[in-house]
Amino acid sequence: MNKRSQLICLWAAPLMGVMVTIGWWLLAKFVPPPLPSSGAAEIAELFRQNTNGIRVGMILLVAGAGLFAPFIAVISAQIQRIEGSPPVLAYTQLLGGAMSIAIILIPAMLWTTAAFRPERNPELILLLNDASWLIIAMTFSPAVIQNVAIGLAILGDKNQPPIFPRWVGYLNFWVAFLLLPAGLMTFFKTGPFAWNGLLAFWMPLVVFAIWFNVMFITLLKAIKRQPDVGVLR
Amino acid sequence: MNARVIEAKPVSTRHIPGELGLWIFVLGDMLVFGLFFSVFVFYRAQNPELFMQSQATLNSNYGALNTIFLLTSSWLVVLGINAARKNLNGLAFKLLLLAMLCGAGFISVKVIEYSEKIHAGIGLTTNDFYMFYFILTGLHFFHVLIGMVALAVLCVIARRGISKPSDLAILEGGASYWHMVDVLWIVLFPLLYLMK
Amino acid sequence: MSQLLRSYTTVVWVVLVLLTGFSWWLGHSSASIQYSKGPQLATVFMFLVALFKVRLVGLNFMELKHAPLPLRLLFELWGAGVCIAIVCLYWFNAA
Repeated sequence: MNKRSQLICLWAAPLMGVMVTIGWWLLAKFVPPPLPSSGAAEIAELFRQNTNGIRVGMILLVAGAGLFAPFIAVISAQIQRIEGSPPVLAYTQLLGGAMSIAIILIPAMLWTTAAFRPERNPELILLLNDASWLIIAMTFSPAVIQNVAIGLAILGDKNQPPIFPRWVGYLNFWVAFLLLPAGLMTFFKTGPFAWNGLLAFWMPLVVFAIWFNVMFITLLKAIKRQPDVGVLR
Repeated sequence: MNARVIEAKPVSTRHIPGELGLWIFVLGDMLVFGLFFSVFVFYRAQNPELFMQSQATLNSNYGALNTIFLLTSSWLVVLGINAARKNLNGLAFKLLLLAMLCGAGFISVKVIEYSEKIHAGIGLTTNDFYMFYFILTGLHFFHVLIGMVALAVLCVIARRGISKPSDLAILEGGASYWHMVDVLWIVLFPLLYLMK
Repeated sequence: MSQLLRSYTTVVWVVLVLLTGFSWWLGHSSASIQYSKGPQLATVFMFLVALFKVRLVGLNFMELKHAPLPLRLLFELWGAGVCIAIVCLYWFNAA
């Protein structure tokens, strides 16, 4: 079987984690997020102070987001083992994942645009920064669809033993629910539901980290347990 | 509390209601709501006057009525599951249907309450109290809607009767979820409507 | 049916409904209490009542009384944790 290529794809995930952490967090210094209530002058100042940090950070974010693709593909490959044919939930998960990558790449390039000419009109920098944050933090539906598809597939698993432990299915539903409050950040510039808020930013971030680690470990186990011979059932 | 356990249930063997994985979801969900509750009280303490004034415009009769609806619904679900365990399929079906009716009562009251507020020009962005009011009750409302779907599934299973272990697990799991919705409202009621 | 109704569960339900009525009454009358800390104490009491109700539902309706101990313990921890968090955040910030 293709265990080796699956494992290569899977290990792209921690690499992505490292690149995103270094790029988005340490170099661009976007965590904690700039205040949604900040004015144009303050935001433009951030881009002028840390122009090259943001530029390099965004290169790493773009590179890291690409590495999300093989990881998503491995999830779909394992879901396909559960579903057989036609693997609609695997497809749904794959499309959700693809959209998730887009909502990382687009803001990364908008931030890049802002840092490309940091001397431009501060109002335009503010606009690009607003758009980036709203796209990356508020676009909840791709991830929710992904989690629900994974959850449904795992709970519908008839294999003995199942490909994923059943609790991972429930965990995915939990994650899907927790990403919903992010959809409300369009209304708030301060408070827990703004894009830098406890319940709209930090909680989803922690939840994503839990999900990411659980999926990585259970995928690793699923791939190792997969029979060596024969075709997909 | 243990003095009057008269249920025909073996006390010696410990049993997980539903399945273990479900409890990851239930406890995880409760954990997050617990965080929401704490954040609410924290923000309330920053501006108690505003929160008190806004709270005074809520109708606590609606909140109390909805608590009764959910408590009654939960109780009917317990009776329904016990009936299903004794293979009283028709009775179990009726009890679960009544539980759904109580759930529908909750939804109706909530819709009336929301529309009164919206007609009065009060919304999510009116102030911090209403932000929490709409988001906390809204997320809970979402849980109630999912719970109604779960109860409908339980009705179908109860009517057909328990034929395999997984049937019982689904019945117990769905019931546990519905009780969680009840538990969350038990805290939300004093939090949003009553506290001074 | 009548046998089902005459169960412990029904007693629990009656207690829960009565406690809800009590909390509702407390919420309405606590403003008129003369003692200066009256409303605050009433609020703390409301959350203790809520915790008691949460435990009644958890242990009896959710059948955690007969569940493996760790599961019951996690539920109890949640109830106690939420109650302590709410009461502390309320009391120490407001007073």
